[in-house]
Amino acid sequence: MDQPAMGATVNGRSIPDRPDLGRMRAERFARLQEILTSQELDGLVLLGSSAVTYAAGLAAPGEDSGRAGLFRPVVVVAKGEPAPHVYTAARDGVPPDLPYEHVHGPLFPDLDESGEDLMEALSAHFTAGSRLAVDDQTHPMLRHLGAYAWQDGRAALAPAKLCKTPDELACIREAQRISELAMVDALKALRPGVRQTDLSAAFLRRAFELGASAGSIDPIWQVMPPWKNQGPWTSHGDLAYPTATTDRFLREDDVIWVDAGILWEGYVSDYGRTWITGARPDPTPRQRAQFQRWRYVVDAALEVLKPGVSAGALCRAATEANDGVRPWMQHFYLAHGVGTDSAEMPLVGTDLGPDFDEAQKMEPGMVVVLEPVIWDDGASGYRAEDIVAVTDFGWAPLSGPTYEPFMVER
Amino acid sequence: MTRGAINRDPVLGTMGLEDSEPSRPDFPRLRNDRRRRLFDALAAEAMDALVLGRPANVRYATGARQLWRAGCAPFGPACVVVRETQRVHLLSVWDEGVPPEIDHEDLYPLTWNPANLMAALKAIPGVAGARSVGTDGLTPMFAHSLRDLAPSAELVDGAPALWRARRTKTTDELACLRTAAALAEAALQGMRQRVEPGVSERQLVAAYYECIGSLGVPAPPSESVAFATPTRGTVSFRFVPGDRRARDGALVVLCPGAIYAGYEADVGTTVLAGASAPQGAGALADRCRRGLDGLLEACHPGATGADLSRVWQQTGERLPPVVLAHGLGLGVEPPVVGLGRGMSDVLVEGSVLCVQSWVGEEGTGGCLERATVLITADGAELLTRRVPWAF
Repeated sequence: MDQPAMGATVNGRSIPDRPDLGRMRAERFARLQEILTSQELDGLVLLGSSAVTYAAGLAAPGEDSGRAGLFRPVVVVAKGEPAPHVYTAARDGVPPDLPYEHVHGPLFPDLDESGEDLMEALSAHFTAGSRLAVDDQTHPMLRHLGAYAWQDGRAALAPAKLCKTPDELACIREAQRISELAMVDALKALRPGVRQTDLSAAFLRRAFELGASAGSIDPIWQVMPPWKNQGPWTSHGDLAYPTATTDRFLREDDVIWVDAGILWEGYVSDYGRTWITGARPDPTPRQRAQFQRWRYVVDAALEVLKPGVSAGALCRAATEANDGVRPWMQHFYLAHGVGTDSAEMPLVGTDLGPDFDEAQKMEPGMVVVLEPVIWDDGASGYRAEDIVAVTDFGWAPLSGPTYEPFMVER
Repeated sequence: MTRGAINRDPVLGTMGLEDSEPSRPDFPRLRNDRRRRLFDALAAEAMDALVLGRPANVRYATGARQLWRAGCAPFGPACVVVRETQRVHLLSVWDEGVPPEIDHEDLYPLTWNPANLMAALKAIPGVAGARSVGTDGLTPMFAHSLRDLAPSAELVDGAPALWRARRTKTTDELACLRTAAALAEAALQGMRQRVEPGVSERQLVAAYYECIGSLGVPAPPSESVAFATPTRGTVSFRFVPGDRRARDGALVVLCPGAIYAGYEADVGTTVLAGASAPQGAGALADRCRRGLDGLLEACHPGATGADLSRVWQQTGERLPPVVLAHGLGLGVEPPVVGLGRGMSDVLVEGSVLCVQSWVGEEGTGGCLERATVLITADGAELLTRRVPWAF
């Protein structure tokens, strides 16, 4: 197949080697303002980690959800204002371009005693009856902020996040580059007798040495048995994946489905590969055939991928390349987007259904993480993830071209 | 019983092989105790159903070991507890990591389609007829769905009941917390070996992850574990590790936590990069230590957040830009004491706190000491050991 032309563009702009973070934040904020206008909203109140990252560019360490929740920063976007307002104790996470008067002390919206502070904070931006979109609500907010007309925040955020700017794409590519380099160390550590957590140790150590901003998920190193029915019970009879990492020992010839991601400047990477445990892993001919089929399915989807093509067309191309068998797990998808969330729109091939997929058209700036699964009952299977950005005339890769221990020339 | 009656040194480990060893957790009993407290809370609050979205609450209710993701996500119905049937339902496609007391029919599947999710929730026995449904969070969309799901139900705040159930620890929860404390201490020493002039904060986070993974435990509670404090200019507490490098003679804060079976313990101290401490470092360390001494002294049942705050101010230190204390268990819990919060919160026997002292001095740097303590009838019992200061 043809490689996409060098210098592929998104809405006429090329993806920079290094992102301009200030420009990126400004463009994201401008999009949110446009959405406030188009959806007739007076403002946004954001509490979730990925939303506050998107709206205000807040840097935050990777944290357990309980800690990230109780000490959460809150971001307020008021219609017509030039910058967001941030309420946080972690002032070192505030980007340098945010005006000083837009940075306020923490609100603790999960604590009932915060009621008055919450009311005071919001009344500084909004009058009673204002239409505000919110991504997450606590009961103290419900009790104390009843004066506003609350709308669902997802509907406001999703359209802004759907198509990435060139700077956002550069961030995803850098997050991915760090992950791929760090995985070299993890793969090197893969021997019979190491534990799943040992691989996490090798990967995360190296990822931070290489400049990762934060972790995003506990890395997954799931052992896939030869037969589907040797795996965990599932409600749908399909594969159980991904399951959580433990101190499980890995054994010679164990097939490992790797899935991991880190953040760089707020953007998620998504590394997916299939590994084989052993000092000198050598895939069997049957395993090589699985990989070839995976490659063939991904290439079939990439062959049709360009602006205007529907998610349904991608599903059809992938399924046809897999001899009519749907090459993804029932509870997942053929492909998903990434951004400040690890799985965001576009979602391709989910249980949202065929009509949803037909209506969903690819647009420049969308990120498509193709993760088909080739299951070969009796000999396990192959799964990996290729990340591309939809460009003005096709697509451009954001992930690297190596698939050790399955190496092929493309 | 809310306290582990451990008089000798606990024998801590993660293998769980030694049934007769009282310092190891008995996981079936741990889950059974949590479940009983959960249903007692539902009965006490007259809640017919509880819909949980916060991962720690889901862990408390189900005991399920699920995928760890950093940060907090918007509320979604990940677990449903029904009083009438005394059953706990979990969003999961598979049973791996799901304890045996949760049957296959108690699982409802992952879906991207809100209509499918609503259908699955509607099928849970006891939900449709509920008169009172508690949640630990909400979105406008789910508030709307709830009216369809349980038409005659009043929506109530389910979070306080969970916080109360989680506050005092059982023997087995304490065993987990003690194990987490040992892991956190190990991580601190692992990072400490890497501290030298020129080391960056990110390199220390790298060392932290390497240490935690090598201990055989999954994702730790926070990456906010190390920062180099400046020997010149304003000294501020830093939450976000970056590329800042420790200067020769800089005071470096190390404050790692660790999680065992979901339970978190935190520890912290300050070490010197290089051989010669900056002027005033000894005095600053004394102030830091005295701050923690005072707070620990004040940690007894019945003491309030205001008491802790007062004790701190009596040392002559300004209130710090971080909390003085917060609860610990399945991650961070209330009370949050400091930054203007928690003044009327009362410390309870059997609860566990992270307590910390932070002081800074322009021209010298900053010092942090952090400890995890159990509130006993006699006062604070250290679960993490205090590290002797090296300067």
